Amino acid sequence: MELRPILSSLLRNKTGALLIAAQVALSLAIVANALYIIRDRLALTARPSGVAEENNVFRISVGPLKAPETAEGKIANQQRNADVLRALPGVSSVAWTNQAPLGRSGWNMGLNLDPKQTESSANSSLYFGPDSLVKTYGLKIIEGRDFTADDVQLIDPETTKGLGRYGMVSQALAKKLFPTGSAVGKTLYLGGASDPQPFQIVGVVERLQSPWAQSSEVGEFSVILASRWADTYSMYAVRTEPGQRDRVMKEAEAALLKAIPGQMVVNNKSLEEDRDDIYRDDRALAWMLITVTVLLLLVTASGIVGMATLWVNQRRKQIGVRRALGARRFDILRYFITENLVITSGGIVAGLLLAVALNQLLVSQLELTKLPIGYLAVGSLVLWLIGVLAVYGPAWRASSISPAIATRSA
Amino acid sequence: MFRYYFDLGLRSLRRNPVLTALMVLTLAVGVAASMATFTVLYVMSGDPIPHKSDRLFVPRLDNAPLAGYAEGDEPSDQMTYIDASNLLASGQGVRRTAVYGVGSGIDSGRPDLPPFQVQGVAPTRDFFEMFEVPFLHGGPWSASDEAARNDVIVLGRELSEKLFGSTSPVGKRIRMEGAEWQIAGVIDTWKPLPRYYRLINGNGGSFTGADEFFIPFQTAVSHEMGNSGNNNCSGEGPKEPGYQGWLKSECDWIQFWFEGKTASDQARLKEFLAAYVTDQKKLGRYPRPINVRLENVMEWMQHLGVVSKDAKLSTWLAFGFLLVCLVNTVGLLLAKFSARAGEVGVRRALGATKREIFHQYLTEAAVVGVVGGLLGLLLSFGGLWLISLQSEEMATVARMDWAMLALTLSLSIVASILAGLLPTWRACQVTPALQLKTQ
Repeated sequence: MELRPILSSLLRNKTGALLIAAQVALSLAIVANALYIIRDRLALTARPSGVAEENNVFRISVGPLKAPETAEGKIANQQRNADVLRALPGVSSVAWTNQAPLGRSGWNMGLNLDPKQTESSANSSLYFGPDSLVKTYGLKIIEGRDFTADDVQLIDPETTKGLGRYGMVSQALAKKLFPTGSAVGKTLYLGGASDPQPFQIVGVVERLQSPWAQSSEVGEFSVILASRWADTYSMYAVRTEPGQRDRVMKEAEAALLKAIPGQMVVNNKSLEEDRDDIYRDDRALAWMLITVTVLLLLVTASGIVGMATLWVNQRRKQIGVRRALGARRFDILRYFITENLVITSGGIVAGLLLAVALNQLLVSQLELTKLPIGYLAVGSLVLWLIGVLAVYGPAWRASSISPAIATRSA
Repeated sequence: MFRYYFDLGLRSLRRNPVLTALMVLTLAVGVAASMATFTVLYVMSGDPIPHKSDRLFVPRLDNAPLAGYAEGDEPSDQMTYIDASNLLASGQGVRRTAVYGVGSGIDSGRPDLPPFQVQGVAPTRDFFEMFEVPFLHGGPWSASDEAARNDVIVLGRELSEKLFGSTSPVGKRIRMEGAEWQIAGVIDTWKPLPRYYRLINGNGGSFTGADEFFIPFQTAVSHEMGNSGNNNCSGEGPKEPGYQGWLKSECDWIQFWFEGKTASDQARLKEFLAAYVTDQKKLGRYPRPINVRLENVMEWMQHLGVVSKDAKLSTWLAFGFLLVCLVNTVGLLLAKFSARAGEVGVRRALGATKREIFHQYLTEAAVVGVVGGLLGLLLSFGGLWLISLQSEEMATVARMDWAMLALTLSLSIVASILAGLLPTWRACQVTPALQLKTQ
């Protein structure tokens, strides 16, 4: 191989090579970290909420102009609204509830395994699902059973303190609280040690994300209680026949406005919109990083093209001499590509260190996680490839320099 | 001489057009990416009330149970009704206010306008003067209305126009919560950026959204209006059911503000709060060691992380990208200048000093910076437009002002001069004799 002449010529003319190597190093540092963050964010947005066929689901909340005086009045309103929704054509299931997955607002409670515990075993989001929440969301019960009408408890916050007797938990929460055994039949306590409120687990659903879908494990922790809370504001989860959602949403709003005098629709949002909203920033960041990465690679490639063109021009005469002395076009091509590989490889080695350093900085300043080795490998490969592609054009032009050049004076 | 060199620089742009175009483009893209992200960061971290931000304070008290206490725990961002009432009565600071979010339905009585939901806040009267809220009609409710817990209301401009058109509704009444509320005033469009007075539970986030109405804090409480926002009952919940039980509980749901006379009041107020907590301990509250914070506006925004980590991350990576663009420009300038070694040789032989050569080539680099900066400015606006498409929130912060405009251009010129240093120095090293000989 001709590594020796390449190295010695590089050592004689260091500046250009160093600049290219520095550029490759910086690019690798940024690209590896950016790819990692992009992948991380997109994976976050792709997590399933637990709701089957999300596109057919929406939530609608209503509030009264003046609250009914009694708990019975409030509950009657809830049932009236649910009936009105159920009667709409295209609706396949309706459930009264208090919050929606990815809805970004809701209830969050500490859970204890022992009534005397002072620090919670886990924090979980709390859904009320006295009627058909499991059916409406299409949740998968992997252990135990769904609620029956006998499980349902009516709760008036003005007079009662409890939250409910029976509940279901998400699988992630069941595993966290009962790592070894089954969760079904166990008792959990809501509220602090001064006032523990027990409920019994009757079933485990495979998955149901919290309204905030946090990136940590907490995002997968949910409790569904078989209770009907006498609240003046109420939310309904609605599942429609495929393709009917948008029409049903409009009709639902009109129907609920008419159902009870003075009733207002506070919110009417599809799960699809909720998903867009909650992950908007993550998607935006991923796109911003994709843009920067692409531009960065283009800039680096253009730098390599520029520098290689310069070198080829400077060495026209030498190339002519080499060709005249018997070097094939392929040899010239190989010379420039090898030279470029040497430079990019140098840059990549420095870039690996820089990438780790940049990652350290991001970890310490912005609470990112550590960069897996795989991204370094992918980043290096991409830059090697770009280096070869970028130098190919100038190298090919160099190889087509005619040996006759050698005989000319300038 | 500078003008001449500048002129030469402009002419030289036309030489090796591909190389030059690449250089200008690289610089422009790098500057645009970093300035677009930096502008967002700059607006996000701006001071919304510069002449007063060092004397508006948010107190934070740690009323959580002893269990689970760890050294360095942060006190809650909001406070209990008990503490808010006590601090309002304390007379500390020049002004003080307690704020919580309320939602309600308005019955306009008009057949064309069915009842609709509105979001507002329940502060005390001091709120308007503390945060310098501009009024369009009327003014804040009176101190006597506040003391008597009367049903008085201040409307946001949008709500007022929705209900009454452009006429002044002051003195008129609207129906809400089953009562008649007398309108005391209408505030003008008021959009501090960031929305510092309502960073917790504000509908719309830290930068967008507006409150549709304002009612007196104690009036809202006597109507038993719930808190539309975060309600944190650490440890134990209310001991008694219902609204009154909640008021007596250790649940935190109210945000409090003090206004000091000067910035130095911060230390004094903090001492007062520590003494207050000591007093409350005698009543069996505050089981934890005294843990009191008092933050001014900028500290409060810092504590709540108003500037998102993503915005910082984007800016850092964009500046990293600019660095790559810079290195690239160095290479391209080097290529461009070294092709003109002969020209330098002739000039040197004709008597130009190294200094002159240095001036000429650095000016040429700066010309590339000016052109790249102008193009970068255009691209920055494009970048900001793209950012503003993300969400309403980003649309509010993706705004360039004159300072940013000037900074963009200067950044580009400084970057190009920095990039030009090495190639220029190399050009100065040209030995005239050698160059002339090879010709």
